[in-house]
Formats: sequence, C-alpha cells, structure tokens
Amino acid sequence: MRHVGPGRVVHACGLLLVVVVALFPFYWMVASSLKQQTDLLASPPVWLFTPTLANYADIFADSHVMVAVLNSLLVASCTTALAVLIGTPAAYALARFEFRGKADLWFWFISNRFISPIVLALPVYLLARQVGLLNTRLVLILIDLTFNLPIVIWICTDQFRSIPPDIEQSARLEGADQFNIFWRIYLPLGLPGVAVSAIFAFIFSWNELLYSLVLITSQALKTAPVVATNFMSGYELPWGKIMATGTVIVLPVTIFALIVSRHMVRGLTMGATK
Amino acid sequence: MSFLQLDHVSKHFGGLTVVDGVSLSADKGEFVVFVGPSGCGKSTLLRMIAGLEEISAGDVSIDGRVVTGVAPADRNVSMVFQSYALYPHMSVRENIAFGLKMAKTPKDQIETRIADAARILQIETLLDRKPRQLSGGQRQRVAIGRAIVRNPKLFLFDEPLSNLDAELRTQMRVEIAKLHRELGATMVYVTHDQIEAMTLADRIVVLRAGRVEQIGTPTELYDTPSSIFVAGFIGSPKMNFLAATITGQDSNGLRVGHPAFAGGEIHVRPTTNRPAPVGSAVTVGLRPEHLTLGGADPLLTLTVDFAENLGGATQLYATGPGGAAVVLMVPGRPPVTPGEVLAASLGAGQIHLFDGSGAAL
Ligand SMILES: Nc1ncnc2c1ncn2[C@@H]1O[C@H](COP(=O)(O)OP(=O)(O)OP(=O)(O)O)[C@@H](O)[C@H]1O
Ligand SMILES: [Mg+2]
Repeated sequence: MRHVGPGRVVHACGLLLVVVVALFPFYWMVASSLKQQTDLLASPPVWLFTPTLANYADIFADSHVMVAVLNSLLVASCTTALAVLIGTPAAYALARFEFRGKADLWFWFISNRFISPIVLALPVYLLARQVGLLNTRLVLILIDLTFNLPIVIWICTDQFRSIPPDIEQSARLEGADQFNIFWRIYLPLGLPGVAVSAIFAFIFSWNELLYSLVLITSQALKTAPVVATNFMSGYELPWGKIMATGTVIVLPVTIFALIVSRHMVRGLTMGATK
Repeated sequence: MSFLQLDHVSKHFGGLTVVDGVSLSADKGEFVVFVGPSGCGKSTLLRMIAGLEEISAGDVSIDGRVVTGVAPADRNVSMVFQSYALYPHMSVRENIAFGLKMAKTPKDQIETRIADAARILQIETLLDRKPRQLSGGQRQRVAIGRAIVRNPKLFLFDEPLSNLDAELRTQMRVEIAKLHRELGATMVYVTHDQIEAMTLADRIVVLRAGRVEQIGTPTELYDTPSSIFVAGFIGSPKMNFLAATITGQDSNGLRVGHPAFAGGEIHVRPTTNRPAPVGSAVTVGLRPEHLTLGGADPLLTLTVDFAENLGGATQLYATGPGGAAVVLMVPGRPPVTPGEVLAASLGAGQIHLFDGSGAAL
C-alpha cells in the first residue's frame, strides 16, 4: 500500500474545503430550483425533500425565459465568433510585425479594460439612441465586442508569439502567402489560446447584465440575466423560479467550458514551461 | 556567369554591421560551406540568400537573375533550418507536401514526389506520424525531404546537424554528401563544425566578423591558410602557434628564432611576397599531426606534460622554453612519460609563418 503522509491528508482536506466552498452555492441553486415553495421557505432549511420539476415547467411555460435564453445564445455566439474573427488576425499582426504605433495600439487595447463599464453606460446609451440602435441585438453584440476584443487580442498575441519564427519563415520560403501562413500555421498552432479567449468572450457576453439592462427595453429582446432579475420585482420572491432560471442560465456556459477546458488548461499554462 | 553570386552584400541591424561587403560565387552543382565562429554572420548571410533577411547593400543573384528584391518563395530555394522548423500539427506527409500544395502542384504529382523523397531518405514508414513522434535524426530527414521535393535551384542548410548526437551526425553527414552527389544540386551549408566543412565542401568560405577571411577548397585552406585565423580554425587539433622573431634572411629563406627551436632558429621559406624585416615579430604555425618524435634533424626541443591515449594515436601536450606550448598528434602509443625531454621534427606538411597582422608570409 502506498504510504499516505499527514501532509497529504491535510492537503487533501484543504482541497476538499475549497471544492465544497466553491460548489456549495451552485449546489444550493440547483437544489432550490427542485424544491417546492414550502420547502424553500422552511427554516431551518431542509436537506431532504421531494424534488419537483414544477419550477422548470413554470419557467419554460413562461415564453420570456426561453426567448431570453435564445437571445443570450445569439448575442454571445455572435460576439464570440466576431471577436475571434477580428481578434486573431490583429493578434497575429501584433505578434509578428513591426509597424508605427504598435505600442500605442497595444496599450489602447489593454486600456479598454481599465474603464469600469458603468462609467460608459450613459454615453453609450446616448450614442446608441443617436444612431438608432437602442433595442437591437446588434448594439449588445457591438458593446460586448468592445470589451471582448482586447481579451482575445491579448491572449492570442501572447500565444502567437510563442510559435517559433522559423516555422513561419519556412512556410514563407515554401511559397505560403500571408493568409496561408495565418490560416495553416498560426491558427492551428495557436488553437489553445484561441479556445481560451473564445471561452472568456462567450462567458463575458453571456453574463453581461449592465448594458443589456440599459440598452434593451423591449421584452422580446431581453437576455437571460436580465430576465432573471425580472423575477425580483413585485412583492413576492418566487425563489424556485429564480433558482431554476439561474440553473438554466449557468448550464450552457458550464457545458461549453467543460468541453473546451482541456484546451483551456493547456492554453493557460503554455509558455510557463519550456 | 556563376550560378550563385553575392556581390558586396552587407547587412546592418541598426548601427551594427553584421555582414560587411561579402562577395563570392558558386558554380552549378557546387557544395559551398560557410564556417566561422559563433556570431560571425553565417546564418544572416544564408538567410539573405534565401530572402528571409533584407539585404542592406549589395546584390544576390541566382542562376543569372538578380534576386535581391525578389520574395523568398519566388527564388526557388529550399532551406533546412537548425531547428528543423517542421510544422508540428501536420503529419510527415503533410509537412513534405506543404510547399507543393502551396505551388498548386497536381495531387498525383505530389504523391509521386513524396514517395520519391521518402524512398531516398528512408522515411517511408514514418509518413503518417507527427513530428513529435520522431527522433532527432528522423526529423532531420523529414526537413531534408521537405527541401528536396520542391526541386529547388539551390539548397540552403543552416547547421542542420548541430542538434544530433555524434554518431548520428557522422551518419547524416555521409547521407548529405550522398544526396548532393545524387541530386547534383547546388548547396550552401552553414556549420561551425570544421569536420563537416572539410568533408562536405567543394569550397569553404571562412567568415570572420561579417567578412570573408578566405575562400578555397578544403585542401587549400588546410595547406595554405591566408591568416592565423584560418590556420587556427581549420584543422583539429588546432595548429600550434609560437611567437617568434625574424633573425635574418639567406638563400634558404627566412631565419626565425625562438628558444624552443633546436639550435635556436629555423629556416622557413615564405610563400608570399609580403615584407618581413629582420627583427619583426612573427608567428610560427605547426600542425600537431605534422610533428613526429625524434628524427635526424629535430625542429623542437620539448618537455612532455602529459599524454592522451586515443587508441590508434596519442596526443602529446608538451612545453618548451620561451612559453612554447605544443600539441603533437603521433601515431601509435610512443613510450613517453611526463617530464621527459624529447625532440620533435617535421614529418610532413610545412611550417607556416604569419606576420604581426596575422597574414601569412
Ligand atoms: N535581428 C537581429 N537584430 C540585431 N542583431 C542581430 C539580429 N540577428 C542577428 N543579429 C546579430 O548578428 C550577428 C550574426 O548573427 P548570425 O545569426 O548570423 O551568427 P552565426 O554566424 O549564424 O552564429 P551561430 O554560429 O551562433 O549560429 C550576431 O552578433 C547577432 O547578435
Ligand atoms: Mg547561425
């Protein structure tokens, strides 16, 4: 039998504690979404209860929730696709070419993230109203893109820099043009970075609440996080529905992240070891 | 006109001059080797021929066409990088096919060319592997295969064997020589391994700090180095140098004095017309493998420090008066003990003489 030292036990306990603390809210959300109103309001809280799907039936019957989830899916997917489509060529240029203003451009991308989104909420609202983009999905995609593009560019630039220049030069010598070098060399080799940045972009866009709240008033265009907050109006708090909606909102991101997490870990640690 | 021609080619990085007015030419089918110490600009020069590095001044022409402003892909050259630079995400087959695909070669032709290259390099069984599943030597073969399928006018190699172990290196060296014979292609090869240079080259270009120090066949460089630098660079073990003085001149040539010489001075016939006034400081060069023990007319009187038995030969480290430190490479295992005083004479080759500036006399 392998010897298990006290150090390992303490280590395992510590890890377990972290996992429990991290997962408990999630568990509570899922569990609550399966409870009936009486179980929900019981004090002290009940641990054993008869699960019910009534809350889910309720929210799916409520077409707002479904529409909102679809809206979110649409906005987040478009944002992610556009951010990757625009961000990766930009990252390639920043990683491998020298041009005037490169340092300034780089700083500008990063400094985009310095500003707290709320500071820009009013200007963006006025701007969107001016150009007639209020109450469109496009305005959400554009604003999410503004915040996501720097992340994609930042991560991908770093990733592309770690690709040995010899490989690109070899391809150039063999007759590959700029597009082919990007498409056949940089994108496949930088895939971990691209995947990581895509996840970040998707999660950010999926969870974005502030601008969705400010720029969208039409019920048909609201996104999932906004609809989740809608339940909190009125006198009664329908906890079961809120929790069920929360679960429905968190689920796609979790699945998406789990699927690509293999790339993600590899991407984040790449370059740390050589 | 020669096949490859470099005409006063220079490269500056900012204020730094890395290649300084290099001119040379190579005939079709010739194997040219660039040697020189680290940082002397060998790779830079090679990359300028490839077009991967912009040329600051001068011109490069390949097969009668000036290619100075031509894109790398349109120069019709192949390069094997020191790092191999294989595409890690592609199979060996895709690696080799990449250039052909870029050139829009028909599919069936790509297949036959890959098959030919794979046969020549004996990598037929590896075609479906990824580069990371290959050994160093196999990767090297793939890199060479990628170079040969494109039928380039010119092959460029940048230290292709430096990542391999000694045995594989020897083996690949022989294979590259064979490949050159079979393809009859013009090749430019960078190395700082002088055995590779001596064995592979039709002509060697010795570079030093961005300038051409000497160009010649391996034999020429070995027999008549134009400077101390070349003399010390070509040949292994390194040529012995003694700081001596010109003591006179007569019908037998120059008289050169050094306390380690038997009789205090020796006669050397200069090979050039450079002035060598009496009293000037010169350097005497003696190749370790040209010195023998004993002899009727000894050249040097030395004290043995220690001996290295190399099996078939012995390398003797000896010192003499006047700060002389001399290495002798002698056949067999002569019975010498440290501290023993012995006489050494010139068995073969000649005595090299260099003036104060390092140029051959
Ligand atoms: N991009 C660059 N910017 C500035 N200096 C450079 C650059 N590339 C090379 N150099 C310098 O040019 C000089 C020659 O470099 P090069 O790589 O040609 O040397 P080398 O002879 O191939 O050396 P080695 O045998 O170590 O490969 C070196 O001093 C190097 O520092
Ligand atoms: Mg080099």
